[in-house]
Amino acid sequence: MPDAGEADESADSAPLPPPSSAAQHLYGAARNDLLQVRTLLKSGRTQSSVGSGFLIGTSNLVITNYHVVSQFALDPDTYVGEWVDTSGQRGNVELLAVDVLHDLAVLRVSRSGTGFFKMPEKLARLTQGQYLYALGNPLDLGFAISEGAYNGVIARSFYDQLMFTGPINSGMSGGPSVTVDGAVAGINVSKRLDGELVSFLVPARYAQDLLRQVDQQAKPPASFSGIVAAQLLRHQSAMVDQLLATPLSLKTMGPYQVPVRESEQMRCWGRSNVKADKPFTVDDASCAMESAIFVSGSLQTGQIAIRHQFLRSAGLDQYRFAQLASASFKNENFGTNKDGRLTAPQCTEDFVNNGKLPLRAVLCVRAYRKFAGLYDSALLTASTDHGLMSLQSRIDARGVSYDNGLRLTRAFLAALTRAPAAKGGAK
Amino acid sequence: MNAPYFVEILARNGDVLHRHRLTQLPIRIGRGYDNDVILDDAHSAASHASIDLDEHGQLLLRDLGSVNGSYYGGKRCAAIALDGHRVIRLGHTRLRVRSADFVVAPELADTTMHSWEGAAPAITGLVLITAFAIVETWFNDIESFALVRYILALASCLGAGLLWSGAWALANRLFGSHARLGRHLFILGSGLCVMGIWRLASTAMAYAWDATVLTRYGNLVILALACTMLYFHLRTIKPHHPHRYAIGSGITFAASAMLLLLLNLQGSGRASDELYMSALLPPQWHLSADRSVDQFIADAATLRDAADAARSRGSTTSDEDSDEDNE
Repeated sequence: MPDAGEADESADSAPLPPPSSAAQHLYGAARNDLLQVRTLLKSGRTQSSVGSGFLIGTSNLVITNYHVVSQFALDPDTYVGEWVDTSGQRGNVELLAVDVLHDLAVLRVSRSGTGFFKMPEKLARLTQGQYLYALGNPLDLGFAISEGAYNGVIARSFYDQLMFTGPINSGMSGGPSVTVDGAVAGINVSKRLDGELVSFLVPARYAQDLLRQVDQQAKPPASFSGIVAAQLLRHQSAMVDQLLATPLSLKTMGPYQVPVRESEQMRCWGRSNVKADKPFTVDDASCAMESAIFVSGSLQTGQIAIRHQFLRSAGLDQYRFAQLASASFKNENFGTNKDGRLTAPQCTEDFVNNGKLPLRAVLCVRAYRKFAGLYDSALLTASTDHGLMSLQSRIDARGVSYDNGLRLTRAFLAALTRAPAAKGGAK
Repeated sequence: MNAPYFVEILARNGDVLHRHRLTQLPIRIGRGYDNDVILDDAHSAASHASIDLDEHGQLLLRDLGSVNGSYYGGKRCAAIALDGHRVIRLGHTRLRVRSADFVVAPELADTTMHSWEGAAPAITGLVLITAFAIVETWFNDIESFALVRYILALASCLGAGLLWSGAWALANRLFGSHARLGRHLFILGSGLCVMGIWRLASTAMAYAWDATVLTRYGNLVILALACTMLYFHLRTIKPHHPHRYAIGSGITFAASAMLLLLLNLQGSGRASDELYMSALLPPQWHLSADRSVDQFIADAATLRDAADAARSRGSTTSDEDSDEDNE
């Protein structure tokens, strides 16, 4: 995930554009309601990570990103949150609600806003090219405002985000992006590390939804692990339903047809290794969702990836081709048992025939230690119908329910086939 | 006790270093040149001990007041009765005294194949090592043919084989009587070939009948074969204690198998070498029936309990995301 939290400082060398007078006015008016949200280690209260946040209206509620508060949301015994405002005042924060899927959180602090950042029922309409101003505390250097253009809604991540072509640096995460009138358009969330000034905002309407939810709840939940798990389960259910809503599309690799899914969220890439001096050829096709759900600094999930590898002998005899295919089949990783987030892989393997193609299939599942009901499932298959060709495929579903893992496995297994036209066409 | 008498100076391992033939008693032993048996041992006295018959007509060694004394069975004794088997230590010298009527052990049956020594087993062994190197390289060679790879593999295999057999031959020369390099080469060559055949056969059987246990624990058989090689190497050095060596090799196997399994458990949390069978062979080698997707999914459904059990077991471990960063 191209997350602001992972920003590499050397990649941030693009200088901030000089602020316009609008930006000066905005910053002057907004500064009182702008906060820095810090995560501190409970023992010693040393700073572990920092982000930004802003007070809503005249309330004592603060909107920020989930990834800014993830440490004390999931591990309240080790971490604690703190706010600091532009005048240097500070205090403790209380976490009220999180939305892992849209990367939002609502905090309660011990001071109230001046009413600058408003979240009206009817949000301001944005037009492409319109100027937005992102506020926050980049890289813990001090509060700052940066200017950029709104460039529409993108659906490359599973949930809508706004594209903002202005600088958002790490530490500004959770800060607001506002129109020139001060209406909140979105919440700073991330940027592309491989691009220049391509940043993303969470649309303000999701923050509204979360604030409404806070209004309704009598008291904050005691533990957020269960809430995060429930949200991840909701996400995977929608994700798998969407993926399997229509039959997987088939792509031809040699004489085989392999299931893939190309969509707004899932992109496929291909690669071929045809070298004159090798007695075999390798074709690769892989499809993956470009973004994952941030759960903690070491866990991103809610993602599906498909990979196919087609090996064909170009001079190797059957036995040495079998060695090559075995080496490729062996060279797969299903995770270790020394992972604090997931259990060791539990696998089953067999020779399977789906009616169209005989396969060797290996399925490994791992359970999330902190989130009951969530699993990583990985299916690895190799075709066993030909001595001089091997189709090796893998589908990884991260953070899915057990049943959805099996559904994906079944759909994927059933879809692997030999193209009827090319039957016998292989040498 | 009949003359002549023989005083045998022994090495630590029991081999006779010198044998002195003496026709009459008493026998005087010491460093001085007036003795019947002269000891080249700075830790013995000029007149260290004397041997004579006692009142029962048995040979008796008497210490003549030496500083370092005479020992039998770890104890210092002034006089020691000698029965032909007892080994006495004077200073740093170990000796044994036998008379002409000492009854020797019966003749050992000769089990050694004397025609299978020297060049014949050596050449066979080298041929086997060569075959192993070439076949292994050929099977694993997935690049275009290049002769140099085969020559390199052959040279290194033969070099290592000669080193290994040479070390055993050296031990054979030290503890046995002669080197028997050919025998050791043959043992190594056959061991390697049997291991290679096991690897191929076990992979083929595992693939044919989905016997994944063969690829998961196949290395234990390799280990057993290595320990069998050890047994034959030892037997070649000293052919007379096969049971002792069999037990020793068995213990070596048990200990190293345990170590292998423990290392796997430590490294990956499972005893087997592989998480899943990675071998893929040409389709004609697969003999068992394929299962349906439904059956596979039914098997997969049973993994859930194991995963959940692992989850509740290890729920105390917390994740390690305390890296310092700005978010």
